[in-house]
Amino acid sequence: MVYITSWDDFVEKSVQLFRADPEKTRYGMKYRHCDGKLVLKVTDDRECIKFKTDQAQDAKKMEKLNNIFFTLMARGPEADISEVSGKDQVEAQPAKKGRGRKQ
Amino acid sequence: MVRLQPDPFLNELTNMFERTTEKGSVWVTLKHSSDKSKVQRNKMKTCGEKIEYRCLVRATDGKKTISTLVGPKDHQRFQASYATILKARMTALRKRERKDKRKAADSDKKEDSKIRSTASKTTN
Repeated sequence: MVYITSWDDFVEKSVQLFRADPEKTRYGMKYRHCDGKLVLKVTDDRECIKFKTDQAQDAKKMEKLNNIFFTLMARGPEADISEVSGKDQVEAQPAKKGRGRKQ
Repeated sequence: MVRLQPDPFLNELTNMFERTTEKGSVWVTLKHSSDKSKVQRNKMKTCGEKIEYRCLVRATDGKKTISTLVGPKDHQRFQASYATILKARMTALRKRERKDKRKAADSDKKEDSKIRSTASKTTN
């Protein structure tokens, strides 16, 4: 199994794998509470990359990666993920405008 | 394999995490899927129909498997709820190990310097 030590490398490679073959690529996660271990795996059944950790800070990073994959998989491989964090801001702004109009 | 709606799926996922606290693992897999067989997809392509893709989410504890399909309209809400469940459940991971190591290293250095200073005093 190919374990990657750098988080950013893992993210970049996994997005590349998915965009290259969206039909076959899958993203799996295994969590063991008794061992306190988390393992992430991305594969297209030809190549496989994995990332393992026991750090709580990596759980936060994994959350962002989850958002990226949800966006890519639900909307399609052409989806723009650079807006993943920006999307939340876009949703917040119209809400503020709405409050302004009511006043 | 039990196919559920997104909300019951999230409830079952929470139960799964609860059951595996002492022993066992939880596997969650995400995949881009149209929920149609290859034959149907090829037929749809030749007809010119647009294939609707969704995100297939599967979860298992080794014994029971549940799954759900998340479409582009509800994926934001689903990923927010999913993130909440993970944050609440993944409490066994270590926190800030580096800072603890640094503190331990600093306290060790201080102890060493104290030992050296007391040793030098006794020799003098």
